[in-house]
Amino acid sequence: MFSYVARRMAYSIPVLLIASFLLFGFVRATFDPTARLRASRDPHAVERERARLGLDKPLVIQYKDWLVKFVHGDWGQSSRSHERVYPMIKRALWNTIQLIFWGILISALLAIGIGIFSAVRQYSLADYAFTGASFVGLAMPPFWFGLIAIQFLAAGPKNWLHLADPPLFFVGLHSVTSTGILDYPRHLVLPVLTLTVQIIASWSRYERASMLDAVNADYVRAARAKGLSPRQVIFKHAFRNALIPLVTVMALDIGLLFGGLIITETIFSIPGMGKLFFDSLLQGDTNVLVAWTVIVAAFVILFNLLADVAYGALDPRIRLA
Amino acid sequence: MRHVRHSSPFFVLLLALALVAAACGGGGGGNKSSNTGSNANVPAGGTLVIGAEQEPDCMDWIGSCSGASWGYWTANVTTTPRTYNVVKKGAGFGYELSNLLTGEAELKTSPQQVVTYHINPQAKWSDGQPITAHDFKYIWDQVAHGSDIYDTTGYANIQSVDDSNPSTPVVTFKTPYADWKSLFGGQYGLMPSHLLEGKDRDKETADGYTWSGGPWMMPAGGWQKGSQITLVPNPNYWGTKPKLDKIVFRIITDTSAEFQAFKANETMMIYPQPQPDAVDQVKAGVPGVNQFFTDQTGNLEALWFHNGKAPFDDVKVRQAWGYALDRPAIVNRLFGPLGVKNPMNTINPTILKDYADATAWSKYTLDQSKVNQLMTSAGWAKGPDGIWAKGGQKFTVAIRSTTGNKRRELTEQILQQQLQAAGFQLTINNAKSSDLFGKILPQGDYQVALYAQVLTSFSPTNCSIQCSQNIPTAANKFSGQNWGRINVPELTTLYTKVDNELDESARMADNKKADPIAADNDVALPIDPLPNILLWSKKIAGPVGDNPIMGPFFNSNLWGLNK
Repeated sequence: MFSYVARRMAYSIPVLLIASFLLFGFVRATFDPTARLRASRDPHAVERERARLGLDKPLVIQYKDWLVKFVHGDWGQSSRSHERVYPMIKRALWNTIQLIFWGILISALLAIGIGIFSAVRQYSLADYAFTGASFVGLAMPPFWFGLIAIQFLAAGPKNWLHLADPPLFFVGLHSVTSTGILDYPRHLVLPVLTLTVQIIASWSRYERASMLDAVNADYVRAARAKGLSPRQVIFKHAFRNALIPLVTVMALDIGLLFGGLIITETIFSIPGMGKLFFDSLLQGDTNVLVAWTVIVAAFVILFNLLADVAYGALDPRIRLA
Repeated sequence: MRHVRHSSPFFVLLLALALVAAACGGGGGGNKSSNTGSNANVPAGGTLVIGAEQEPDCMDWIGSCSGASWGYWTANVTTTPRTYNVVKKGAGFGYELSNLLTGEAELKTSPQQVVTYHINPQAKWSDGQPITAHDFKYIWDQVAHGSDIYDTTGYANIQSVDDSNPSTPVVTFKTPYADWKSLFGGQYGLMPSHLLEGKDRDKETADGYTWSGGPWMMPAGGWQKGSQITLVPNPNYWGTKPKLDKIVFRIITDTSAEFQAFKANETMMIYPQPQPDAVDQVKAGVPGVNQFFTDQTGNLEALWFHNGKAPFDDVKVRQAWGYALDRPAIVNRLFGPLGVKNPMNTINPTILKDYADATAWSKYTLDQSKVNQLMTSAGWAKGPDGIWAKGGQKFTVAIRSTTGNKRRELTEQILQQQLQAAGFQLTINNAKSSDLFGKILPQGDYQVALYAQVLTSFSPTNCSIQCSQNIPTAANKFSGQNWGRINVPELTTLYTKVDNELDESARMADNKKADPIAADNDVALPIDPLPNILLWSKKIAGPVGDNPIMGPFFNSNLWGLNK
């Protein structure tokens, strides 16, 4: 197992290098870090800045310079805020990780539960209800759902019930004044709900389908024939195997979520990775964009690796060697 | 000039006469004056949470990263001392001496311009150090001689700052600078030389700062990036000390969420951009709060023609567009619910009414016969499809504006419809704000653009955008700001005089004289003043109101919170 993980990590390095070079090239070709200086009254400002940033060198040399600095922890400076890129990404990443952690935890529990239930009670009323709800969830755009959730679960109840504060908060992850232990969960509910609706809908479908495959497989029939209890058949034999396809989907989705929460983070004023990307994109903040894309690519690769490792844990027949 | 909030650097003049002076809804408010009054009658204590639509990129107020209006409004004007403030004066606005000085600065105009300030002996920084002439010298030196500076306007005209008498800085100009009251105030307040001199200013302020020379200061960690900016009273402020315990600006960039947060009491005041979402929310009603809308702003949204490139290098074509558009319909569609229904008819923002001929563009009303006459005389003929054509080429132009700005996108759609009806084809080709203002406009890669000029001092600066010497060219590395390539000799002469004249009434007269000349040449087509919207909870006590230059929070030291 260790050598497998080490080898996969070693394979990841050229993938990351190629990805980072391509991303670096795309960002450099798309954005001009000196654009903001073109309106300057100093006619030499652009020239000076280009020389300072090394933009007058060939792209490969620029990439090499950037890479050497990047691996040494010098991720450059934001052209927008003049802040170092590393603390910007660290800060944003921490906020996004909180959302992803709670979102994935809740999504996984609910999706798996719904998936198993729907498969075991196939074509029951509850199965039809979950199926219908999943389609609604999949069709629900996060920007719309987020605002509706704010209206009906926070702002609305506050006004209808004449409360001093809304029951759930929707600005940031902490209140300005309240410091009670419920403050953090009250801030988390709505963004996590917005984040999870589509994920639960999608994952529960996968889980249902793979559970159906599993419960109709020969080894499950054999287990039943041997007189195992339905609980043992489902959880010990069918469920474990049914998780494998879902784990692949989950790993891919989690990796992508590190950069994909733009709407949720914007609506709920959470300064995470998605919002950082969006703001940097609008301002053409190249150093941030390059570092951001490389970090997100690294997360995608990492979670793919974790998925491979998880296969081995879930199915001993898969040998990771 | 500041260009983040409304996305452009520049200025203009006055308002159409017909613009009803400040449409005002809800209770109280208005354009309140001064931050030097008393707050004896407002309650003490409490935390005021305000929704901020934008976060400052940095707090190095001199650096090129400091362009965000919200940075200026929230943390700059509240913590940096300044010589003059722009405040409401009678029916208009004007400069008011701040409590940094003991009296009006002395202006000597010959043989060269010299301004002598007398610093209030009580004026000190939050660490107890006095504010001195050396702080004036430090700011000048940093702005005029530093690199990566936001704007050197005015400071570049200064020859020297004499700080030999610590309480009496003497500023000598090498070339006259008419808007001298905006210096050591305006965009840049003073910064403490005893803390910053010899250090990397940018680095020292990278995470905010805890010094202050204003009524408020940031506590350590007061700027939580991406989340909020916190201000607490400066205990060493020599003027009216704030009664509130704290002001927290929460960053909420989504307009719908901003209104919901306000309605749900997560914030107690918002100052949203006049985007369609915000106007719709106001139209739908926000019950039980105070609200204030005004067209008395420092903004001017206009169609800016490329005067040096076909087809708008022909004055007749530019004029034809003036008659092809129903500007009142556009303004009414955009801002009708705010009570703003009439277009701008001057190239100066409304608050500069004394510098403007508010009716200069009023002749441009929807009139298809004039369009036909002008276009025909310019050699164009309508094709069978109803579109003007010349030399076998149809009249099709692309309009450029900022991507993602819903108000501008809506405006462009209305323009498309109106122009199509008059025989002009308009396509939309928007770009990121950094590209538009950093590359496309300076390099002249456009035919017509839609954006706003935003005033950051109480003075017209038309020369920078209309004088021929400021046309960007390859030779000056596209550094001029006359992006419209306007080249009208009479305008250049008048606006250059306005920039250099020290007699304010002469400046007003000359600037006003230029307006009809610009209108005759239709160098640009003014549309609207981008009204300001302010909504606040009835719990807030004190003189709340809008200040089109310094923002609505500049006198927050006079506010309190009712229980």
